[in-house]
Amino acid sequence: MDQTSRLLLVLGVITLASILGLIWRTTQGRAKLLKSGLQVDLKELGATKDGLPVMAFGERITFLQFSSEFCATCKSTARVFGELESHSSDVLHIEVDITNRIDLANKYNILQTPTTLVLDKRGVVQSRIGGAPKQNTLEEQLGTFVI
Amino acid sequence: MAKPQIDPRGPRFGAAITATALAVTVYLGLDASTEAAAFALLLVLTALFAIGAIFGTGKHPYAWLFKTFVRPRLGAPAELEDAAPPQFAQAVGLFVAGVGVVLHLAGVEYGLVGAAAAAFVASFLNAVFNYCLGCQIFLGLKRLKVIR
Repeated sequence: MDQTSRLLLVLGVITLASILGLIWRTTQGRAKLLKSGLQVDLKELGATKDGLPVMAFGERITFLQFSSEFCATCKSTARVFGELESHSSDVLHIEVDITNRIDLANKYNILQTPTTLVLDKRGVVQSRIGGAPKQNTLEEQLGTFVI
Repeated sequence: MAKPQIDPRGPRFGAAITATALAVTVYLGLDASTEAAAFALLLVLTALFAIGAIFGTGKHPYAWLFKTFVRPRLGAPAELEDAAPPQFAQAVGLFVAGVGVVLHLAGVEYGLVGAAAAAFVASFLNAVFNYCLGCQIFLGLKRLKVIR
């Protein structure tokens, strides 16, 4: 194969990867409204917080974050939610490691981690955020739940 | 037990080198006269992926390059990350590069180029977009029962 064709093919692969990356990036960290009305079962979730089982949802909003063992952005995502939570008493952040809870991954159709479900005060799923949430996504979500 | 932590910029630096080497592999693999060189390069990359997958990215030669030449020029990282996710990505790289080696040995036309291109896309996305293979595909593979 001549040199020009080879260079063009390599450039084509680089372009393809760039387009894939740009598309992927726009899908990350945005909230998608869910109309399933799925009720989260805290007992089934078995989440703990500071060593104690989580028994109630946040009074205004709950961010239910699913993480896994091989997830690089889960930690920073948890930190962002932790800060939000520390600023308002009616916001709750729950983190569940689903590395060994494929039942939960199937039930909530989780494909990537972190995936965060935004729950109302009754624990009904309102929207989901795939990937590390963008700052404006968080503001929008909190704004939706202002009483 | 605390999980081992690493500077998250280390694996991205390594991914940039890997992506460049894989692009060269694709280029060389496209012509019969340089195919042997492409295969040699892919063998080296496969061995490097094996080091990262088995011993972790902290033991990878690129990590040494990063620590010695790059990190002293950068400030401290905003935060450390677990070492496990990039190790998982190295294992995926090992699998894909290994498939390329096997296909080439089996005489499959463009097998080497195809595998090198696939591995290139993943390492390029990692280096440029901070794409994390462990975040994106681990759960899917597990749900499909490809891995336990």
